[in-house]
Amino acid sequence: MNAEKNNAMGCAGADSVNALRLGAARKRLAQSTGPEDAIDGLREIVATFLGSEELGLFRVEGSANFRAFWSFGIDLREYDLLRALGEAGLGRVMRGEYHVELAAGEGSATMPKAQAFIPIRFANETIAILAILRLLPQKLAFDGADMELFKLLSDEAAGPLFGPSLFGPGVPSADSKPVAGEPGVSA
Amino acid sequence: MPKKILVVDDSKTALMMEREILERRTTYQCVTASDGREAVEKAQQERPDLILMDVVMPNMNGFEACKMMRQQPTTREIPIVLVTTRGEESYMEAGFQSGCNDYITKPIDGAELVALLQSYLGE
Repeated sequence: MNAEKNNAMGCAGADSVNALRLGAARKRLAQSTGPEDAIDGLREIVATFLGSEELGLFRVEGSANFRAFWSFGIDLREYDLLRALGEAGLGRVMRGEYHVELAAGEGSATMPKAQAFIPIRFANETIAILAILRLLPQKLAFDGADMELFKLLSDEAAGPLFGPSLFGPGVPSADSKPVAGEPGVSA
Repeated sequence: MPKKILVVDDSKTALMMEREILERRTTYQCVTASDGREAVEKAQQERPDLILMDVVMPNMNGFEACKMMRQQPTTREIPIVLVTTRGEESYMEAGFQSGCNDYITKPIDGAELVALLQSYLGE
């Protein structure tokens, strides 16, 4: 083992492992071959790094309309998750804040508990909301390292996920609205 | 001669992460496969020192690949660590019955992964 790597390993700790995790997530999104592959990447990132196999995306349409856009492990159309978030919570997410439950919970049969709502941002606007629902049993709660991954997803997922649909026909302007693309809903 | 690990996962993200960890935090050489069938073939060709393998995969899952490797003289003795999202005892028991040596659950903890691999391969 050479001295340089030995020293790196000696200094390495949770921070460096988290940096590797963030790097892998960033690379996976950036190397997506299109929106459908980006969605696969998002699902893999949430399962592999955050510890959930139930997640979904809501597309923001206009200022107050939300459309269930895609899901995995759960059918978003069966639940009114955003109503459960409440107006205040939804307002914060629309302004770019994360809504994270401090302790994992099951919710009920009629309303699974969403553990996190993460704004997906583009040009200083929340254009989609990522909801992460039930955590895997071995994942008890989110931690500080997970918050860094939330930020990465919030800041960098919009382009790979929505690609050309972010721009309407013609030259994009402050007033242009995104044209929705729809890979479909899967559960 | 650096130790060689065969990393098997259909998730590009998991492969990227595991590869990054192995290349930056260990001296192990890394080869990859993306499903169970390819894993069985690569294991025979590459003769890795350890196999790190996801369970849920297309074509052939990790349990089946593990069983097949245990039936072949060239791969029978290679330590196999299964990676899965499911940590229930019954699931883990199924993994051990398929012939795996150890088990790690997602979400992947990089430090835990390195420690586990080093327990089998040394530093």
